[in-house]
Amino acid sequence: MKSHHDIQTFVRRRRLLADMTQQELADRVGVTRQTILSIEKGKYTPSVALALCLAEVFDVSVESLFQLKKGENDD
Amino acid sequence: MTEPKGRERWRPTRTKLVASGIVIGGFWLTSLNWWFLLLVGIGTFGPGVLREIGWLHDKDEFQRHADQRAGYHAFLTSGLTAFVLVPFFRSGERSINDTQELATFFLVLLWFTWLLSALVAYWGAHKAAARFLYVFGSAVLVFTIISNIGPEWTGWAALLMHPLLAAPFFALAWLSGRWPRVTGILLLAAFIFFLQFFRFNLERVTDGVTFILFLGPLLAGGIALLLAGKKTEDPDDADELLITGN
Repeated sequence: MKSHHDIQTFVRRRRLLADMTQQELADRVGVTRQTILSIEKGKYTPSVALALCLAEVFDVSVESLFQLKKGENDD
Repeated sequence: MTEPKGRERWRPTRTKLVASGIVIGGFWLTSLNWWFLLLVGIGTFGPGVLREIGWLHDKDEFQRHADQRAGYHAFLTSGLTAFVLVPFFRSGERSINDTQELATFFLVLLWFTWLLSALVAYWGAHKAAARFLYVFGSAVLVFTIISNIGPEWTGWAALLMHPLLAAPFFALAWLSGRWPRVTGILLLAAFIFFLQFFRFNLERVTDGVTFILFLGPLLAGGIALLLAGKKTEDPDDADELLITGN
């Protein structure tokens, strides 16, 4: 049976801990504020390159920003 | 944690400004010659072509993803519609009298589907549906006021009563944030009602264009709200406006 994966994101939490606005974070990684908003809301999964940029800004691993949530019907 | 600071005011990009100018100029110049409609096409699709060949880098990955997804939706909608219309006209019982209107119909369908999909991607279903309804209601309000004044003055009673037709749209816009699924059902009911009320004759292509522009937002908004469900409050909601498809 086909597995279904959702991504859980902790970008917003890290951003608030860093006392950063969405616009500031967007400027740091070279995207628009709308992109950061969509990532934080889980509406958009960033590319590997963008995920690495975000991790670099917060000086953390990518896995601490994005985690996999496996579906119930995994093999 | 600190309080969120003020968000930056949205400003159109240079690409948007240039493309919008070309589109508006093109529409205006069609009064001189219809070949100027080419400018509208260049303004609408040119930036997308430049991005695909790597000459323009004005959008980030999320914006490009939203554009490509909207393009895919436009492809699906237009393709399915074409596969309905071809047997409809080739069944031997009907003929196309207005081929230019048919081309216009497909252009409107393509562009409008793209626009609706992109707006939902940018704003989210709730905000997009609310804004559709506010624009819709405003258009009805303006239309009813204009049609009741001037040489065809119909009296104060009509001027005060007819604009009330816009009230349900504003009410639905307000409701969409609080009870999205209920609003979605009401929008679909409104779609069915107007479909019957206006008696669209889809054999006339002009009716098809009106159908897309008038009923399309009701149908799209209703489906989007039903699928999106309850809205989660977010004080950081972006408020960026997409004006053209560029």
